[in-house]
Amino acid sequence: MKEKPVKGERRVFMTGNEVCAWAALAADADIMFGYPITPQTDIMQYWTRLAPKYGKKFLQTEDEISAGFTTLGAVIAGKRAFSATTGPGNVLFQEPMSMAEMMRIPVVLIIPMRGGPSTATVIYSQQEVTMTAFGGNGEGFRVVYSTAGHQDLYDYTIKAFNTAWKYRFPTFVLSDGYQGKMRESLTIYDPAERGIEMVKAEPMLGLPGIPGVDRPTRHLRNTYNTEEELYEVVMQIARDFEKAAPEIVEWQDFDTDSEMDVLILAHGVVSRAAQGALPLLKNEGIKAGHFRPITLRPMPEEQMRAAAARANRVVVVESAYGQFLKLVKETLYGMDKPIDAILRPGVGITAEEIVAEIKERR
Amino acid sequence: MRIVEAFIGEYASGKSENAINRALELLRRNRQVTIVDLDTVEPFYTLRPLKKKLEQLGLRVIAWDPAETTGLGEAGSLINQQMIWALRNEGDIILDIGYGAHGARILNLVEGAQDDPDLRLLVVVNIARPMTASVEDIVQYVQGLGTVHGLINNSHLGNETTLDIIQDGAVMVTEAARILQLPVIYTAVAREFAHLIGPHDKAGNPVKIIELFMHEAYW
Repeated sequence: MKEKPVKGERRVFMTGNEVCAWAALAADADIMFGYPITPQTDIMQYWTRLAPKYGKKFLQTEDEISAGFTTLGAVIAGKRAFSATTGPGNVLFQEPMSMAEMMRIPVVLIIPMRGGPSTATVIYSQQEVTMTAFGGNGEGFRVVYSTAGHQDLYDYTIKAFNTAWKYRFPTFVLSDGYQGKMRESLTIYDPAERGIEMVKAEPMLGLPGIPGVDRPTRHLRNTYNTEEELYEVVMQIARDFEKAAPEIVEWQDFDTDSEMDVLILAHGVVSRAAQGALPLLKNEGIKAGHFRPITLRPMPEEQMRAAAARANRVVVVESAYGQFLKLVKETLYGMDKPIDAILRPGVGITAEEIVAEIKERR
Repeated sequence: MRIVEAFIGEYASGKSENAINRALELLRRNRQVTIVDLDTVEPFYTLRPLKKKLEQLGLRVIAWDPAETTGLGEAGSLINQQMIWALRNEGDIILDIGYGAHGARILNLVEGAQDDPDLRLLVVVNIARPMTASVEDIVQYVQGLGTVHGLINNSHLGNETTLDIIQDGAVMVTEAARILQLPVIYTAVAREFAHLIGPHDKAGNPVKIIELFMHEAYW
């Protein structure tokens, strides 16, 4: 047996993309498939540097469609496989991710979001929320973790493998170009030493025995002949997803226990600006709280509604033109609550900017 | 005598900080100094965003202007003629080399790098980087870089740096250097640690106080 890449616990200093590669190693992933695209490429580069040392594998495919399908192929063969992409690459990944939803193939995809639409920037955005949560020609039966820093990237990349393999939904770790390139300290650890047991990756096809005799026949399908047949299948996936949702949802709240003038809703790295804005707003005499959904899909609906109920108004802050806002509106539907938004597609947002906007719109 | 030094290391090892500080140190001695950005891989955290500031401080800077490389990611970086001929400049030359995946291979593109008698390659090591976190890892990493002339201990944890990690780094880097038969040039510390550590680290290496610039270099 190869030596464990991470032993014990250690404080380290890295870029976010490197963290993802280390986390995948710590989660005992077997293989990565991928195609280079900024700002994702260093996840691949780091994985390829580390992989041979720990008996892991890598294949660079001809594009992202292929990277997605080869990842699924490896998973079907019983490997804990993953990939990473962003922007236009994420667009191409939607076809294989749809197939994963339909065939209940667990898969992990890490996405350091870049600017959009199209090629846009190689830098940063939160503009891949809609696509990651609801892309493809399906119903969005996916899990999306939105990370806010390097400890999150490590924790949730490891967790993503277990969520995917336990519930059998495609699971996404949503990062962004800033986090990918940012340098920050974090604690890396061997999951086993923290009592985290990795769900076993087992082959979905080619099992021992004669199908229909020694074991039930396994027929993985993404094609159905009649509407009724499809309806049954999709409704079953929907029921499974709804059932799993309360176990999967995660969130953080800050100063939301008592009545608030304003509740700031933000996810990912923007949550850090929101957290930074709270003491500044307090100094200005504004009672503010912050709610951060960690899972964007499924959304911690009950928890967000409870926090919103204690605020006079809600302000959504995101580095996109309303993608998270849409999810918030859906979540808070029916509540008598003014919803305002600070929308900055493709650019960063500071704590001071949030404070200034909130003061101006008071 | 002309001083020609190339700083190489992992992401976040501190190579650019050390390159800038060395260039400024030479400048303070009234020497003519050119600093060259050979980080052709990474669009972030390079000397490029600092170009104007460093020029104002009196350095000659060979680097792209950030505007010239807008839209280029890891796959689209370029080397220009000034970089290729960097070693033909008069005076001292400090090279800031891109991070580890390509290692020192970028020097193959720099005219005269193979036989420049003055060129010294210095490896900046941070033990908080998992790839260089043990003596064995440091030795392996440095051996993979080709010809190297010395090691620098720049162990840190960003804002969470402690004296312990600096000193642990000093001990590890010194041991790795002994195995590699290379000198430890110095241990670098931010100013706030100067009075805590004194003129020498635990392993007896000289301590150099560095000013930090790279937090301003995000794009």
